[in-house]
Amino acid sequence: MNGPHDIGGMHNMEPIPIEENEPVFHSEWEAKVFAMSFATFGNYFPVDETRHASERMPPGQYLSSSYYERWLYALELLITEHNFVTKAEIEERINQLAQSKT
Amino acid sequence: MSSHHQAESDIALRVKAIELLLVEKGIIDPATLDTIIDAYEHKIGPHNGARIVARAWIDPEFKHRLLADGTSAIAEMKLTGFSSEHMVVVENTPNIHNLIVCTLCSCYPWAILGLPPTWYKSFAYRSRAVIDPRGVLQEFGLEIPEQVEVRVWDSNADLRYLVLPERPPGTEKMTEDKLAGLVTRNAMIGTAKVQSPAAPID
Amino acid sequence: MTAAQAEELLRNGLSCRAENDTFAQFQVGDCVRARVMHPQTYTRLPRYVRGKVGIIVKDRGVYVFPDTVGQRLDTKPQHVYSVQFAAQELWGTNAPANDTLFIDLFDDHLEAV
Repeated sequence: MNGPHDIGGMHNMEPIPIEENEPVFHSEWEAKVFAMSFATFGNYFPVDETRHASERMPPGQYLSSSYYERWLYALELLITEHNFVTKAEIEERINQLAQSKT
Repeated sequence: MSSHHQAESDIALRVKAIELLLVEKGIIDPATLDTIIDAYEHKIGPHNGARIVARAWIDPEFKHRLLADGTSAIAEMKLTGFSSEHMVVVENTPNIHNLIVCTLCSCYPWAILGLPPTWYKSFAYRSRAVIDPRGVLQEFGLEIPEQVEVRVWDSNADLRYLVLPERPPGTEKMTEDKLAGLVTRNAMIGTAKVQSPAAPID
Repeated sequence: MTAAQAEELLRNGLSCRAENDTFAQFQVGDCVRARVMHPQTYTRLPRYVRGKVGIIVKDRGVYVFPDTVGQRLDTKPQHVYSVQFAAQELWGTNAPANDTLFIDLFDDHLEAV
């Protein structure tokens, strides 16, 4: 697919974001997205299917998302496409969690 | 850094919701998530790759095997693992400088170097390392002389790459462990050279 | 996946090598062209090498084909080669004359020149 992921040779990207003493994960949600994806590699989805899922992100969204936001998109796409959970269940749970916080 | 459409708190909430649902449905186990996170935060990292480099510097036969078949030489040291199943090691010399990238995603030898840094995963690095490797290296403070061949390796398939950096001068008497301490992650991707140890203070 | 299975996967990984050997379409030293193709499905052949001519420098052995595996189709095992391209072949005469790029391409990504 001629998707937004195929960027070898593209010009006008920002300077390379070099960060000294970078942590492995920058937040707990990044670690969780990574671990949930890892736990489904091999068990449910071939790694290449996971890669392709992030490539299916609309180009504008792909290029304005961080690395783990793209992983989250791929994870959500695959678990809903394969009917592990529904989009409605995810939204409903988000609302519940938001309400219980307030 | 990339701009974020969603607030961090919204994303964190979304991830929590997904985690709770997958756990409730028996698709993932919380203990498994902890094991995976702990492995990459505390156990797996560039220190593994540094041991391989140091061994290659002191043991010419190991170096020969490493360059001929990275996978089996690294297996001798029991350092293989996920996302490092098929390894190729490329050697920097006075005439050749190697640089590793993955333009299509961010493939990287996780078992050898840990998870990749943000810069390796950035669009800027992925797009420019192939078309302008010398410009990229300058951003890392590395000026490669014109007569040195720059070789870029795009890890688009299932092979993963490791750069064997040049051993710096002044390290002839150092032990393998001390040598490993000099080797940085960036030197094993090709965006740095290994520096000579600081001169002893009199 | 249990925690023990995760530890096993971390330690042993997932091999992408295919069990059976298959015929190699190309030999080391062959000049090859990366195919011009634009599948709407998954592929590991980036645009910047399509249509460009390089040389096979190493046969990496037989691997399952990600372009089909990513779609849950056949594993379609085939040879993977390290293909070397001159920077000037990819980017034109402004690129440094001696610099090169290596990329791993499958039989299905390549055609004879």
